[in-house]
Amino acid sequence: MKKLYTNRSYLRVSLFLLFFSLLSNSITAESFFDAGESSLSLIAESDEISTGETILVGLKFELNPGWHTYWENPGDAGAGASVVWELPPGFKASEILWPGPTKIPVEPLMTYGYEDEALLLTKITSPRTISYPVNIGAKVSWFTCKDVCLPQEGEVSIKLYQGLKSENQSTSLLREMERTVPTDLSSPHRVSILDNKIFLQFEREEAQQISSAYFFPAEYGFISYVANQKLERNDRSFSLELTPAEVQVKTLNLKGVLKLNSDGDSEYYNLDLPLGDKADHSPLGLNLITALLFAFLGGLILNAMPCVFPILSIKILGFIEQSQGSREKMMQHGFVFSAGVLTTFLIVAGLLLFLRSTGDSIGWGYQMQSPLIISLLIYLFVAVGIVFMGNLVLGGQLAKFGVLAQGQRDLAGSFLTGALAVVVASPCTAPFMGPALGMAFLQPGLGSLFIFLALGIGFSLPYLTLSIFPQLLSKLPKPGEWMETLKQIMAFPMWGSALWLTWVLSSQVELQSVFAVLIGALLVAAGLWLLEKTQNSQGLSRSFALFISVILLAFSLWLIPTSYKASPAEIEGNEYAFSAERLENLRLNQRAVFLNFTADWCITCKVNEAIALNRESVKKILADKNIVYLKADWTRKDPEIALMLARYGRTGVPLYLLFPSQGEPIILPELLTEDMLVGFITEIN
Amino acid sequence: MRYLFTALISLCVSFVQASVITDAEAPDFSLVDSFGKTVSLSDFSGSTVVLEWTNHDCPFVAKHYKTGNMQSTQEYAKEGGAIWLTIISSAPGTQGYVLPDTANELTTSRNALPQHVLFDPEGDVGLMYGAKTTPHMYVIDASGILRYQGAIDDAGGRGFNFKNLLEADNYVKNALKEIQSNQVVTTKVSKPYGCSVKYKVTGSRMKRDTINSAAVVATITAEDIQRSPALTTADALRL
Repeated sequence: MKKLYTNRSYLRVSLFLLFFSLLSNSITAESFFDAGESSLSLIAESDEISTGETILVGLKFELNPGWHTYWENPGDAGAGASVVWELPPGFKASEILWPGPTKIPVEPLMTYGYEDEALLLTKITSPRTISYPVNIGAKVSWFTCKDVCLPQEGEVSIKLYQGLKSENQSTSLLREMERTVPTDLSSPHRVSILDNKIFLQFEREEAQQISSAYFFPAEYGFISYVANQKLERNDRSFSLELTPAEVQVKTLNLKGVLKLNSDGDSEYYNLDLPLGDKADHSPLGLNLITALLFAFLGGLILNAMPCVFPILSIKILGFIEQSQGSREKMMQHGFVFSAGVLTTFLIVAGLLLFLRSTGDSIGWGYQMQSPLIISLLIYLFVAVGIVFMGNLVLGGQLAKFGVLAQGQRDLAGSFLTGALAVVVASPCTAPFMGPALGMAFLQPGLGSLFIFLALGIGFSLPYLTLSIFPQLLSKLPKPGEWMETLKQIMAFPMWGSALWLTWVLSSQVELQSVFAVLIGALLVAAGLWLLEKTQNSQGLSRSFALFISVILLAFSLWLIPTSYKASPAEIEGNEYAFSAERLENLRLNQRAVFLNFTADWCITCKVNEAIALNRESVKKILADKNIVYLKADWTRKDPEIALMLARYGRTGVPLYLLFPSQGEPIILPELLTEDMLVGFITEIN
Repeated sequence: MRYLFTALISLCVSFVQASVITDAEAPDFSLVDSFGKTVSLSDFSGSTVVLEWTNHDCPFVAKHYKTGNMQSTQEYAKEGGAIWLTIISSAPGTQGYVLPDTANELTTSRNALPQHVLFDPEGDVGLMYGAKTTPHMYVIDASGILRYQGAIDDAGGRGFNFKNLLEADNYVKNALKEIQSNQVVTTKVSKPYGCSVKYKVTGSRMKRDTINSAAVVATITAEDIQRSPALTTADALRL
């Protein structure tokens, strides 16, 4: 059988040769070959060639409508054309100069190639001695495809004569095509890997004109051919989001052609970027498992954090109360408490996801960014402190909040105590928790839910353990007179927390608003005093006291501020939020300043922060050189920032300005790297 | 919530269609063969299995069969006790789609040696394995672990027509040889080459860019970065 095949191919070859010998008899057919669905011709920029000269020749494929042929990398299927040159001795042919391809989707796959027509250029160089006429021949094999593929093969040749290069009818076409051959991209560009996404970023001066972009990977196994590529523009820099290929092959360089489209015009650029080990696969260096473990540990340690202390006191009191109950009942309370904790954590996570999807920029303790919630917490802590200190027995409604030990006898009380514990613990961050939460914010849906769940489990575990093994509880002292004393002492951490929250509030709202909240707290205290005073009386006086208390409370709620202060205050260490006034003051005091214009919706900014700005080396050198780091957050519209951007000819972020202690600032590139940034900062004085 | 929804969707989708990972378990499938018999991959646990995606009218496939290169690979597999499954994912009405009789006729006339020729007209198995070209080869070891995926040999790319396939480095033979002698497969992945698999085109089919392996849990999208406040460790600790 094998032999038969061989015989058949012999037959084919001879037929092929016969066909060719017939063709070569006609003069015009030499440079032209008709292959059915496509034809091939060989053209040169000149009919003459001298010695030691380079001449541009082209293989021109003309395809029937609907057919295509392939680029050097055909994408998911197919193969690009290949040429074997037949040249006189001493002549040399360059590699094919592939023009920029187009996308040819073959659902569900993606291929790259040329439709209707393709002109593959080659440069032929002549030696020092030539015998004329010069016969330039090419044996070409290519694929012409529609839904099906045809392998095609043909030979074409042209003759070149002695003389100086002169234009012919092909010259302009070839030279025009030569200009569209991808060139190196001269403006700054880089590739960054953030978690599972690859971002190809580049700067362009004439950014406004670019409407879309596409990266054609030259190699298999790194970038998915079929996935959509999303382009984002930030002022002059672009970020093209690439999806990793389904099957990964070890890749050292990102190689390919970048196509930039503007008004029906396309430019092509060759890219070859080393991926190296600088590629940061996870900005936080945590995978989900580690994040979950960290979250669990963080939750556990959260119990020992000072800001959780007020709840701790509520809970300790609760457990002491319960230790008199039956073991079964205690276990029940333990589980319900944990359920309260977990439910609240899940609600917080759900709320976070919801807010994130609506575009709000939030972090852990985002509820702490709301002056409303902080003010309510201040009132709550003041009230709880007063209740602890005094003898007020709050029945019904308030006890359901689980604030008081009495309320904890019923299961709803335990559940609400759990919920309250989380709300109050939210301003706190324990060791391990930070990285885990950071990870949670970068996770889509389920991931963050799991992280919050792990945090909740860690947080409620000590109480669950205590309720299951009450023998541990027996180590706690028996209830008695000392409990009253303890309760009174516990009032101080409550008031302490209220003080701390007032400080938090003061960073968010104007001074008079803080004062209003303090007056509100005073009214709450007055209301409680009134309630305590009349708690044993009946009838009119009691009703009147209740009425007054409600009015006082309502008034205190009315006093709560709802709007933020114009500019947020200090962030951290030598890091401040930008304001024109602050910058001016710093400049007057001859301080060196690094000014970062950023926004949460700017990918380039976030990548710059992940791979350069937030790196230890950068933070260290900023601190060492005593440079003030100003952050202008343009997430929300801010005329002051817009004005500052305009001053440096920008309409968007990112923009990085490095002000020396005196003189004009240096405008840093939009695509930062760690080394580059450290370099710039080192040189500044 | 949109994220939760997307996450759920992508989890579900990944079970339906995804590419396969070398050195991980090869997903099971059941298809009807050219004799009307239902054949599952799991039927052959304990044997090495070779999967060959084919389309007899594809010039790449045709060359591999004309030169006897495919048959010699099949023979090599058979001698080593491996099972050879030829899979046709061409949809009805597209190139390479054949009726059972034609499939059997092709086996006889081409002296091919598959244990079964399987039909995958819906393309489900092809998409599950991420088969892109004909031919596209997969080698699964006796314990059901995928050991090789990609081209049959290194003759792909430009100038395929000019190449002598019998002189090419045959990746499938190499993998079979290494599996047989309990060695680690040197070339685990290569770029598949050939014609595109002529999959059924349906509007309802999820675009392949939505397909992401369930193993990639830690995925951030650009939107996530845009919307989340890029909370760093330092930021979080500060709270």
